[in-house]
Amino acid sequence: MKKVNIEIDSKVQELEVRDSELLIETLRDRLGLMGTKYSCLEGDCGVCTVLIGGRNVLSCLILSADCDGEKITTIEGLAKNGEPHQLQKSFIEKGAIQCGFCTPGMILAAHSLLDKDPDPEDEEIARALDGNLCRCTGYVKIIDAVRDASQKINRSTKS
Amino acid sequence: MIKTKTTSPVGKSVPRIDAREKAAGEAKFVFDMKLPGMLIGKMLRSPHAHARIISIDTSKAEKLPGVKAVITAEDTPKIKFGSNEYFFPYTVDQLPLESDKARYIGDEIAAVAAVDEETAEKALSLIDVKYEVLPAVFDPVSAMKPGAPQIQGAMNNIGVMLPMQFGDADKALKESDYVREDIFHLQSAAHCALEPHVSLGQYEVSTDRITLWTSTQAPFKVREAMAKTLKMDAADIRVIKLNVGGGFGGKLEMFPMDFSACLLSKKSGGFPVKFTCTRQEEFSFTRRKHPMTYKLRSGVKRDGTLMAVTGEVIADGGAYCSYGPTVIAAAILRIFMVYKIVNFRVIGFRVYTNNPICGAIRGFGGVQSGFAVESHMDMLARGIGMDPVEFRLKNATDPNMETVNKLVISSNGLKDCIRRAAEACGWKDKFGKAKSAGDMARGIGIGVAADVMGSKMYKAHESAGSIIKVEEDGSVYLFTGAADTGQGSDTAMAQIAAQELGVAYERIRIKAADTEITPFDTGSFASRVTFISGNATKNAANDAKQQILNIVARELKLDAGALDMRDEQVVKAADGAFVMSFDQAVGLCYSFNYGHLIIGRGNYNPKTTPVDFRTGYGNISGSYGFEAQVAEVEVNKKTGDVKILKMYDVHDIGYPINPDSVHGQIEGSIVMGIGYTLYEDLRFSEGRVVNPSFSKYRIPRSVGIPPIESIFVETKDPQGPFGAKGMGEASLLPTAAAIANAIHDAIGVRITDLPITPQKVLEALKEKKAV
Ligand code: FES
Ligand code: FES
Repeated sequence: MKKVNIEIDSKVQELEVRDSELLIETLRDRLGLMGTKYSCLEGDCGVCTVLIGGRNVLSCLILSADCDGEKITTIEGLAKNGEPHQLQKSFIEKGAIQCGFCTPGMILAAHSLLDKDPDPEDEEIARALDGNLCRCTGYVKIIDAVRDASQKINRSTKS
Repeated sequence: MIKTKTTSPVGKSVPRIDAREKAAGEAKFVFDMKLPGMLIGKMLRSPHAHARIISIDTSKAEKLPGVKAVITAEDTPKIKFGSNEYFFPYTVDQLPLESDKARYIGDEIAAVAAVDEETAEKALSLIDVKYEVLPAVFDPVSAMKPGAPQIQGAMNNIGVMLPMQFGDADKALKESDYVREDIFHLQSAAHCALEPHVSLGQYEVSTDRITLWTSTQAPFKVREAMAKTLKMDAADIRVIKLNVGGGFGGKLEMFPMDFSACLLSKKSGGFPVKFTCTRQEEFSFTRRKHPMTYKLRSGVKRDGTLMAVTGEVIADGGAYCSYGPTVIAAAILRIFMVYKIVNFRVIGFRVYTNNPICGAIRGFGGVQSGFAVESHMDMLARGIGMDPVEFRLKNATDPNMETVNKLVISSNGLKDCIRRAAEACGWKDKFGKAKSAGDMARGIGIGVAADVMGSKMYKAHESAGSIIKVEEDGSVYLFTGAADTGQGSDTAMAQIAAQELGVAYERIRIKAADTEITPFDTGSFASRVTFISGNATKNAANDAKQQILNIVARELKLDAGALDMRDEQVVKAADGAFVMSFDQAVGLCYSFNYGHLIIGRGNYNPKTTPVDFRTGYGNISGSYGFEAQVAEVEVNKKTGDVKILKMYDVHDIGYPINPDSVHGQIEGSIVMGIGYTLYEDLRFSEGRVVNPSFSKYRIPRSVGIPPIESIFVETKDPQGPFGAKGMGEASLLPTAAAIANAIHDAIGVRITDLPITPQKVLEALKEKKAV
């Protein structure tokens, strides 16, 4: 067991976690943050993606014990004051969500990309999302949505 | 609170009704459910491909602290279930827990419920099963030979045999100017829905009732199979679907884990029990695509007239039948939807082996036949020097015709699809003019396909029902049995309801797929939901609308027939003149004078005639959808790599209820089809899946997705709700052939064996040089 302080979706959580406890378990089983899904628990699908310090990581490959002092954002922490993030809006408007099981991880992976590169080319978007599987959409509308979000964010920061 | 108002939403790309909650991470899947006292269920599976079960001793497992229940076949009524029981009763062949014999690696033998996963796993290891290992057989051709191990007691292990014969094929072959025979091999594949199979069962001791939450495409079918196998009244079983993280045909039946979750809950004294498949279980023990071999021998006249198609289809079915009969039937019968064939003789065998179970997967055998038939047609066309587009136009089915096997085709945009696909891609300038630059060669290829919209599989009817209630405050609730698994049917239903009722899309709240609350619906399969459930919903909305209009007419002393509702208003039908707002009209219904609760009812059963599977005659679907697809590829002759440059898809969808949603289905299908064509391959060794993970079984990823141009042909189907047809499967069917045909155009070699790996391309090139 280890005592850790982790900031999750802007709330600091004081937790006592098992040495072998995965971050995905802490989020879902301990904290009831069910927005983060998983699909393989082997690091192969990207479904369990969360942000640690803004970077996308696979919560099925990270031990909660190693997250002491980290700032974690899950899909549930992305909206600000009830207003969805532009990526969430674009995913909704562009038809990038079918079953929605990949969506939380996909949006967070895209978030991490736009943090580093606010104006990515389509190929860069595809490359950034390559670790995130989606079986429903064929990725076409997902890439559309990320492009749309980046354009809208850029426009609003310029104006 | 309603912020935006989209009136007349049909034909508009409104955002999905569930997109906000999905984007927010709030959408609930059964995967996310937790109930107080919930136990974890785990399945004990056979480690042998074929073995007699001598004894099962669960006593040690039962004594393990934390174990709340253990079940084997002895705790069950030992009643078999199957998926095609109405037309193929003899294919009902699987027990929820096997008692005498295990027939594949993974066969369910026992199940446990324990306080946590670790304890449940430990309990499994303490169950002592004595097996007598039997000889096993893993390929269908060996399985059909005399002396092969007998798996189910079916003669020569042939679970299903479908001989289809029309006209005089031998005579027509003799009269043909050109006859050729080709053999095609198709591999197995996995659905890979990202939400695994999950079941959460709860038994209520005081009422002797069961509630099952399960990630399914067909809750009513699951309830029926549960009632039968548990020997309970269907009324005592409630099956609830929440959001489903993809199905693709893999979640169309009751699974032993559904059954076991409920029985374990009962045995534990009413604790809820939840099973969640691991990804390895998903790949190895759920369902998979039928690997098939097609041998086709067909003849054409010099002018391109398709004279006869003959052949044989052999499918490895695995240990149980599942949806095997419909898969084989669809694999054979789909050809009549696209080609005017009069002389036909094809026999299909679905053979038991000791491999994991094959079942339904998007396309129901149509993907396999799509590759074989559409490659074969190309080869016939080239054999007589005819352009493949011309060849298809010459032989394509027409609107308003009856096929030789009595399919009734009403609206049919197939020829339009072919023409417009050829135009969009610039076929005339590209086909046969393969461009080579160094090691790179470009080519273009076409394939066509058809969609059914429904197919009776497990019941005599295929009805769907809908209820719409309009509350006093003007809120509108739609109750439908249709099962949205991510394809967007809830959204389509809400759009149809809003359009027919004349209210804004945003008014509609939908309650779907709960067997105790919503009307019956057979489920999400065979591209049926928009067409069948959509008609039911339209009828329900119309019923509610008439109730409102009747009261408005009485109040205003007008003829109800002279009124209509649109854009949130009651209007004069003749000139659209405003009469009163929707809210006023609803207020009137609920007023002192009328006190009328508005509850609209609707159902729909498509006009079909049952297919007689001994003869092949019958009309399987209320209407048919069509499409043509073109692939442009670039082949690297040095490495054998195939790059898809662009896909064109022209689809007769009748009329798009939600254009973006329809494009989304088409894009998803095509990309799934590209995966199957180029690399997806579920492989086996002695009955064991050797690549049960996303790292070893590759599915398409975001890099390398080609541009997809998706075009609609709107034929406004007379039966479809607002002219819409079902869709969602057809776009996957011609993809492999379109790509293979394009490769042939590029480098002059023909790959007849999927997946088209670089190695196969190189081998084929080498062979060509040697000739
Ligand atoms: S669940 Fe973490 S990568 Fe698949
Ligand atoms: S939307 Fe279903 S997996 Fe991506």
